[in-house]
Amino acid sequence: MAEDGNRDAPAAGLGALWGALRALLPRTKEELRLDLGESVERSVVLLLQQAADLFYGGRRSECLQTSEVVLDYSWEKLNTGLWQDVDKDWRRVYAFGCLLKAVCLCEAPGDATTVAAALRVCDMGLLMGAAIFDDILIKVAAVLQAHLLPGKRPAHIPAPEQPCLKKARNSHVSIPDLRSERAVPRLRCPSLQHFRKHHLVPQTPVILEGVADHWPCMKKWSLEYIQEVAGCRTVPVEVGSRYTDEEWSQRLMTVSEFIDSYVLNEPRDVGYLAQHQLFDQIPELKQDISIPDYCCLGDGEEEEITINAWFGPPGTVSPLHQDPQQNFLAQVLGRKYIRLYSPQESEAVYPHDTHLLHNTSQVRPCGIAAPRPPAVRRPGTDLCLCRWTWRIPTWRGSPGSPRPRSCPASCARESCCSSPRSTGTTCGPWT
Amino acid sequence: MAEERPGSWFGFGFCGFGQALGSGRGRQVLSPEPLRVPDAGTDICDIGSLSAAWSYTAIVSSAGRLLLSGSARGAADGCRDAWASETLRAVLRDGPGGPGPGAELQAWAPGAALRGEPLWARPAGPEEAGREDDGAACETRAGPLPLLPGARAHLSPRPPLCRPLCPALRARRLALGAEHALLLDAAGQVLSWGGGRHGQLGHGTLEAEPAPRLLEALQGLRVAAVAAGGWHSVCVGETGDIYVWGWNESGQLALPARGLAEDGQTDAGEAPALKEDGAGLKGPAGPEDAAAAPFIAVQPFPALLDLPLGADAAAASCGSRHTAVVTRTGELYTWGWGKYGQLGHGDTASRDRPRRVQCFVREQLRVTAVSCGPWNTYVRAVEPGRS
Repeated sequence: MAEDGNRDAPAAGLGALWGALRALLPRTKEELRLDLGESVERSVVLLLQQAADLFYGGRRSECLQTSEVVLDYSWEKLNTGLWQDVDKDWRRVYAFGCLLKAVCLCEAPGDATTVAAALRVCDMGLLMGAAIFDDILIKVAAVLQAHLLPGKRPAHIPAPEQPCLKKARNSHVSIPDLRSERAVPRLRCPSLQHFRKHHLVPQTPVILEGVADHWPCMKKWSLEYIQEVAGCRTVPVEVGSRYTDEEWSQRLMTVSEFIDSYVLNEPRDVGYLAQHQLFDQIPELKQDISIPDYCCLGDGEEEEITINAWFGPPGTVSPLHQDPQQNFLAQVLGRKYIRLYSPQESEAVYPHDTHLLHNTSQVRPCGIAAPRPPAVRRPGTDLCLCRWTWRIPTWRGSPGSPRPRSCPASCARESCCSSPRSTGTTCGPWT
Repeated sequence: MAEERPGSWFGFGFCGFGQALGSGRGRQVLSPEPLRVPDAGTDICDIGSLSAAWSYTAIVSSAGRLLLSGSARGAADGCRDAWASETLRAVLRDGPGGPGPGAELQAWAPGAALRGEPLWARPAGPEEAGREDDGAACETRAGPLPLLPGARAHLSPRPPLCRPLCPALRARRLALGAEHALLLDAAGQVLSWGGGRHGQLGHGTLEAEPAPRLLEALQGLRVAAVAAGGWHSVCVGETGDIYVWGWNESGQLALPARGLAEDGQTDAGEAPALKEDGAGLKGPAGPEDAAAAPFIAVQPFPALLDLPLGADAAAASCGSRHTAVVTRTGELYTWGWGKYGQLGHGDTASRDRPRRVQCFVREQLRVTAVSCGPWNTYVRAVEPGRS
């Protein structure tokens, strides 16, 4: 866990940090220029130039102030309209603000808290911004993280106590009985042709065994490892049983805080790090995984492959939903129960009629006979799911990735089927 | 408007581009300061209309002189009204023969300093409104920008810059948010359309509306004024009630906001001020507040807002993420995002509860009007006995 490390970091150490950060930036202010299109207003362009002038002029606190203005204004643009319609230039402006702010924060001598704050700013730029200056925020984050050695991590202050308005969660987790249901077929390392002919083309799900055996994550990943590699990084976490519930919300916290509050220590609320492109944010983790060869059989380009991570405690349940894309799900740790319904059953699952939730069912599947076979994925297996199959419990949001911090807390809630419990239980630290 | 006795204007909040706001020094002004327009050639205390964009402010005096300050500078005469947005500046200019027929609406690019040719110009005289056959003709004619005279079209910061409005709507006032629009009609009804993902349309859902749709929740209430923030909406009833709806991420709806509680910015620690306002003490919900109101991020349909001491509202204006209300007794209440001093309480705290701007009470001034820019607030106040 995060511990209160040595707060009196030697001045030489911090001087080295500033030097390392400064070296990542261009030498002259002319090179720190973004090519921006028409959608970025002239006044903002002036402000960016001003910020660069202040930075290279050594006027740190004024540069910080100007960066804040840039961040606040571009944040408003990022929250206007649908996320997929937000002009990429505004996300680059936001990343620019994060870059200057993070670096300026580290210029003056500070303690581990300052460096952690700067890393958080970097992460905000990575989460909400777009790549600038050749992924400079990744490099800055790496430098800051290296400076935050485990011994130097700031003390983790637990979040203020929130009233527990929900009943205590039933900690008994039952393993569903699969005998009465049809299981998804399993294949061991099928050839590409076999996979395409028997599953991709006819759109039938399959469990592939042996495909991910050699991935480093299978041996390396544990809670301790994740803490070490990514503990101080800020990620979006969903809090609440289901994203269709009224109390559901999205929060930003470090991976350490997430593990402390929602994975260990008998959490009161359900927290789920779900559908987050963690591997773009933290390249060290990306090195532990591979992309299955079968992905090259898909329609799109390789650049269109997105890799998301799901990380949560036992007992997380995602509502029945569907995806517009083909998916491979790889289970690294723990076990997950998945129930699938064919697209032909779409009417029977009562999708919400709202734009936001039209890919989500209003009902919670109970113990009725499932028309499609469910699957239990054990660690080390890959599950291939075809487009538009209804499935639980892994979830995806509405078309377009969700923005951190801008989620509806009170969705219009449709009536659910009156099943008291869902059978989508899972166990193990990873779901 | 022009027929009121002149008062003094004050400003507070963001002025990072040097726009008129008090001393104009520094990036922000945290408490109300008398308005001073840099390089103002004439006395500007009798302001007819004021419109503030993010990086500049447009002020039109009752004598028809337009002054721009901030990222845009310039002055022009013969102007009746101005509307400032970051991407577009619109000016309603009198015709060659003075006020009356021949008035022209001009749209300028943000960089232009009112010299040369505007982006476009179109006639906007009162003859367009002459076809109205009810007694409210003068109301529709005088619709302030962004509502065009005649109420058959309105301005928009994004192309198309001039958008038609159905005449049957009988629009009296129009307020634009970042992705939505509010319309107040001659019968005191409110309609809304545009993006709705933050509940800002008030129809109880998060769905967008392509065309003006009546707010059923407000039916039966005669609304006197509407105001739109970035993602929130406010209306003031003729009886002085305030209704709010939309996004509450900074407390701009005066409902409990999670972000403020987590940053420790609720008003819990300010007991004396709260007593004066008449509001009760309420910090982050503790274990004893089992039934305490939960945090509200989005309010998708209008909620009645009670000001402290039961004050009635006379006018309201919204910035991007904050709200300001003038009461019938001449007080100013503000709440919401306060990072740039736009709440006028002398600090940069955000608030999710209405708080009276004490400065005017201390100086014994009656507030009569308020107009918010995205990150700042302009207030007109008079000494009691006048107005």
